[in-house]
Amino acid sequence: SLNGTEEKKFKRFESYKRDNQFPPKVKDLAVVVDAKSSTIVLPIMGRPVPFHINTIKNASHTPDGDVTYLRINFLSPGQGVGRKDDQPFEDASAHFIRSLTFKSKDIDRMEEVVKQITELKKNAVRREQEKKQMED
Amino acid sequence: METFDEIYLDLSKQPGKCRFVETGLGWKLGNGDPFTLDAAEFTQAQWSRASRGYEIKVYSRNNAVVQLDGFQQEDFERISKLFKNWYRINLEHKEHALRGWNWGKADFGKAELHFNVQSRPAFSIPYSEVSNTNLAGKNEVAVDFSNPANGDETGTNGHLGGARAKGRKTGAARDQLVEMRFYIPGSTAIKEENGENGDA
Repeated sequence: SLNGTEEKKFKRFESYKRDNQFPPKVKDLAVVVDAKSSTIVLPIMGRPVPFHINTIKNASHTPDGDVTYLRINFLSPGQGVGRKDDQPFEDASAHFIRSLTFKSKDIDRMEEVVKQITELKKNAVRREQEKKQMED
Repeated sequence: METFDEIYLDLSKQPGKCRFVETGLGWKLGNGDPFTLDAAEFTQAQWSRASRGYEIKVYSRNNAVVQLDGFQQEDFERISKLFKNWYRINLEHKEHALRGWNWGKADFGKAELHFNVQSRPAFSIPYSEVSNTNLAGKNEVAVDFSNPANGDETGTNGHLGGARAKGRKTGAARDQLVEMRFYIPGSTAIKEENGENGDA
């Protein structure tokens, strides 16, 4: 630790190793929260695309009439809350997906998806903090 | 001739019958109009995991992307053999990125935008499905997708059993992708350059 500030280090993570590990529900071409793998699987052009909870900043949905818009914001450089962007990245010069928005008629299910993502994120952050305390 | 049941064409609502013959491929739902693609049109073919089973993606001469989803993993040998023998095309087994990362490289191919993570595509988007792109902020590029009314409209007037015409594929999903934003370092330089050109 330097001058009381500790440099955060990027830790690698991985959603799946093989394509037979996707939850069977991905066949519905809907957003699937796979808590077991700390992953959200999103339908993009007929393909299940995993995003690890560690890449996600937050999720919210905005109802509009009989549909709702689910927006998932991801962590990317240049969006630090304070003056200093202290979020560690493996490669800050890479291209990043910053957000994805999905339109859905299933407002109740999207409400549930937002809750599940928020919960998963909270748990991931808590586990990370507990680990850090043990290391200290 | 090789026939496969329960196959979805271009993210159609209903699965139909897919047939390969020496001169090309066909897809049909019930007694509906058949979709056919002449083998002379094929330029490239890929096999990969899709949401609904496995997918054969055929690229055609006019850069159209034909998606056939719903194959079984064990169909690969049979299909790759017929592609080789009949069409002289290697059915490439394309592994997709499964790491769950949101960083990589946006790569602009001939017919599609690929987002590659460690040299493997996490996903690909045919240009036909993009309705608009704009610089949404500093280093931020927004890509909008065609958003068919209710998701029910397929652009094929009820023909082809709900298979989707160009610009309608995102409507096939229960949750439809409408916008994607990228952080692309250096993209402000493009804006400034354009601004200067505009002033000149």
